Amino acid sequence: MAKKILTVDDDPDIIAFVKTVLEENGYLPLVARNGEAGLAMVREEKPALVILDVLMPKQSGIRMYREMKFDEDLKDIPVVVLSGIAKRTFLRSQEALTEFGDDPVPEPEAYIEKPVEPEELAEVIKKLVS
Amino acid sequence: MGRDGKMKKMLFVTQFDELWFDALQSLMDLRKAGFNHVVFLHVIERDKVAMRRGKGYLKDEEVRLREMANVRFIDWAEELFEQGMEVGAYIIVGDILAKIISTAEEEDVDLIVTGRHRRPKLEELYAGSETLELLRRTSTPVLVHKYMLPSGKINEKPFERPLLALDWSAASDNAVEYLLTFSDVISKVVVIHVASEKTFKSDSAMEIQAIRKENKQKLEKVCDAFRAVGIEADSHLYIGNTCEQIEKAAQEREATMIVGGTTGSKPLKEIFLGSVAKKLAERSAFPTLLIPANREVVDS
Repeated sequence: MAKKILTVDDDPDIIAFVKTVLEENGYLPLVARNGEAGLAMVREEKPALVILDVLMPKQSGIRMYREMKFDEDLKDIPVVVLSGIAKRTFLRSQEALTEFGDDPVPEPEAYIEKPVEPEELAEVIKKLVS
Repeated sequence: MGRDGKMKKMLFVTQFDELWFDALQSLMDLRKAGFNHVVFLHVIERDKVAMRRGKGYLKDEEVRLREMANVRFIDWAEELFEQGMEVGAYIIVGDILAKIISTAEEEDVDLIVTGRHRRPKLEELYAGSETLELLRRTSTPVLVHKYMLPSGKINEKPFERPLLALDWSAASDNAVEYLLTFSDVISKVVVIHVASEKTFKSDSAMEIQAIRKENKQKLEKVCDAFRAVGIEADSHLYIGNTCEQIEKAAQEREATMIVGGTTGSKPLKEIFLGSVAKKLAERSAFPTLLIPANREVVDS
């Protein structure tokens, strides 16, 4: 059975691109358009991997990532951040939130700054899912 | 977080003409009042990408405008994320007013920040003012932000010293209640009432003094409410044209912002109050915070 991979992104072009890459590599793509919907879908579907954007409506990828990592049931699901936001910013924001009193969270399994080539994305997914 | 523990959201509407990142930075003091979530909104006006004879829908132009806005928002968002803030963004094609209202509802924001969006004169004659229309259709407070002061300096902390103009309506009461939730941001509030010259038509000095005393007492009662939450407050009574006097008071009291209530549904009153709100929002040199009467008080 094909492994489920969830893409959380509000950009329809990126969703279409990632969906194609996933289907061509034998995965079952799932889609959510913001962090809030993404988190609900992770809880429901327990995908093998999450491909996560950062700047989105309702809830950002930064907050969704934190919530996943604080959830015993979800914290081990690998996350690939795919975003126009720099990795340094993602890590600094997590540090800033930790300073406000939260526990620290680990770095995501992979971080790719947009744009990405299909081969590069497929390679990263393959490495993490297998 | 706010005093109620809830993270408050601000919708920052920019067409990249009047409001840039420094305008947003001037509002960062609001974090003390719980505003830790900023949602950017840029609306690509439909006529910029609409069908053209022989060309069809300008998809390439839409992509170009969308990506330009996206690059700017990513840059701004990075700065806010690094401070531990939450950020979201919308880049939408459509009518600006409709998109402000739908996004504010979708995100359930606590404050809408916008620049002065004026329709061309002829269009305004038929369709009315965009600012007034926005106030009519939303129950969320609207800050029409102007971050350059008349002195030419940047208004770094617009909420530091607001001038609150009261007309003793229910909308005014709402404005007081709303402003009380900013006690961690406001250092002093100047509370004024502008009485029209007609109010003083009596030729009896006693009667005129009685009117003055009654208004002063009401103003002082409001000041006491602010003092009770640790905000310094003083009151002043002005006489004359409402808009002119509010603007004058803001200048002479060195206010950083003008605040007032606006009525929502009472048609007759709306003609008057709506026009004051519209004039202040569109013509005043100061940022203008307008609080609709039918809003739900967030922190009460």
